[in-house]
Amino acid sequence: DEFWFDPNEKGLALRSVNSSRSAYACVFFSSMFFQHYCWTAEPELCQKKRQLSLTCKLVMKSVLPVFRCLNTLERNVEKCNIYTNGNDCHITFKLFCKHGIVKTHNLAFHESEPLQAVFSRHVCPNVLKIQSRLLTDIMIHFPTCQEEVTVAVTPMKVCFKSYTEEEIDFSKAMHTKIHLNPDEFDYFQIGVDSEVTFCLKELRGLLAFAEATSGTVSIHFDVPGKPIAFSIEDMMVEASFVLATLADIENRESSQQSLCLSQKQKSPQATSSTCPALELPAGEASPPPMQPQLTMPPVLWAVGSEYFICTKTHFIKYCIFQFHSLFFGAVSFKEQDVISHTLHSLATASDAEDDFDNEQLSQVV
Amino acid sequence: MRFRAKIVDVACLNHFTRVINTIAKLAKTCTLRLTVDKLYFILTDKVANGGVSMWCELSQGNFFDEFQMEGVAAEYNEIYLELTPENLSRALKTAQNAKTVKIKLTNKHCPCLTVAVELPSLSSSSRIVTHDIPVGVIPRRLWNDFREPSVPDFDVSIYLPVLKTMKSVVERMKNLSNCIMLEANLNGEMNLKIETDLVSVTTHFKGLGNPPWVSEDGSQNSTQDRDPESMAEARIDIRKLLQLLAGQQVNPTKALCNIVSKRIVHFILLHEEVSLQYFIPALA
Repeated sequence: DEFWFDPNEKGLALRSVNSSRSAYACVFFSSMFFQHYCWTAEPELCQKKRQLSLTCKLVMKSVLPVFRCLNTLERNVEKCNIYTNGNDCHITFKLFCKHGIVKTHNLAFHESEPLQAVFSRHVCPNVLKIQSRLLTDIMIHFPTCQEEVTVAVTPMKVCFKSYTEEEIDFSKAMHTKIHLNPDEFDYFQIGVDSEVTFCLKELRGLLAFAEATSGTVSIHFDVPGKPIAFSIEDMMVEASFVLATLADIENRESSQQSLCLSQKQKSPQATSSTCPALELPAGEASPPPMQPQLTMPPVLWAVGSEYFICTKTHFIKYCIFQFHSLFFGAVSFKEQDVISHTLHSLATASDAEDDFDNEQLSQVV
Repeated sequence: MRFRAKIVDVACLNHFTRVINTIAKLAKTCTLRLTVDKLYFILTDKVANGGVSMWCELSQGNFFDEFQMEGVAAEYNEIYLELTPENLSRALKTAQNAKTVKIKLTNKHCPCLTVAVELPSLSSSSRIVTHDIPVGVIPRRLWNDFREPSVPDFDVSIYLPVLKTMKSVVERMKNLSNCIMLEANLNGEMNLKIETDLVSVTTHFKGLGNPPWVSEDGSQNSTQDRDPESMAEARIDIRKLLQLLAGQQVNPTKALCNIVSKRIVHFILLHEEVSLQYFIPALA
């Protein structure tokens, strides 16, 4: 329901967690992704040695309508500016469309540190890398209603199979198993034989994105109970989904583990002892940001705690698709209809000063 | 009891999948009867089905490259299984580009029909996808419930109009009424009628032709004595009719129906290697 807009020097990170805290997603756009990217820290905060970043927590339902109709956006939007005016808690999305139409969306946010998964890919003994096309070809054999999937690995073989809780409908449900040869993977490293079960539904968003980018999907996992991470990286964008897995079925009971999540505290604090150190798929050292191109009147370049991002149409399409597939995936069709109603009320061509404080509250649930 | 079958040809696989899809649209669960040379999908006229019954027959040789069946006993060399055709449909859905598809009866925690799909892959060995579909084995003492229905003593037999046209007519009528009157005569005329308080709609089809039926003793049956203009009619549930028409994935070579006035309508759809009979009872 919520997601965090977390910009920093290197780029913009978007993060989200599901309501049961069993799935975490993060997409990082390096500053190179944008036509122009400018991020400045608030000077007062720097002096007090508090966190340098401004992180905005938004309600998913208010952001999605901005980027809803992918096709329309592709055809009509020439440029999109995303910026904040530090003093009043709004992010503004300004879409410059054909025929001189400008759509401005002002969304209120709460300042809050994002939840981040405490998970280190580097210590995972099992690493698989597979072409996204292949991964989709595999998952397609599972019916769309299939909730959980198990991946079973040994150094010699890999098997994806549907998972149903025993005793419940075992004799009624269809079971699907897909056996793969290790050579189908671009990279195959199995340190420990293991069978981990995760929620396929939560992954669908990433699968859709993977199909669009046709890159390589990396899968990092360990023993049952420890999270499994699916990630895609290319030069400008990194997407990562960390999913909790079912813990070992020793006493015939399995429990969905919650992800170990933590929020960076204002002062450094030791994280819980059971979780490894906080680590996220961080952006690689990015090259110096592009030189600003003056496409906007100077007033918008103003000072202080503003940051200002411009994107070009084809990049925004990328971005939108991500929003769509990554964060829209779990939303049911019913909700989509509701969102389409709210779209009309949000799209306004307005001056930036207009205050839409009640925006979040007025969303139709 | 053993059953193993294999499909190798892409066209056969495609055709078989389409038959299964049609069955899946007609019945939530049905009985699969396996004999040495045929497969039957059977639905009996229980109240739960709304009195509808179905009998679909396929010659295995037209689809399977290999087919081995060993029934429950030597004198009863057949297998009767209860299954959900939708599961089979789903298993075959993503198998259309397979190298081979094997179907066999297995016992994993419970009796299953296992569909093993061998898919082409980039690596040296193929990718294998297996689907275990739970089935129920029907004991021999119940086999009598699943006998082939006999052709009823009908009043009129007539060829159906083009199914696509008939389907779109019935689809629109469904919005107006729950039951439809189907009437036809021996002059090749058929009417589809609905009647409500506000409106009545009739669609007329002409020139359909009446199939010649020859009874067992070689003589023409009693319909010859019937006035060719006189309509035999039956009022049936429109949704059942639509289920039949909408489920057809391929145009049949022959499509006809036999009407027993006020009692039942018996539809017969023949494709090259598949025959489907569907009975819809008349409403009171």
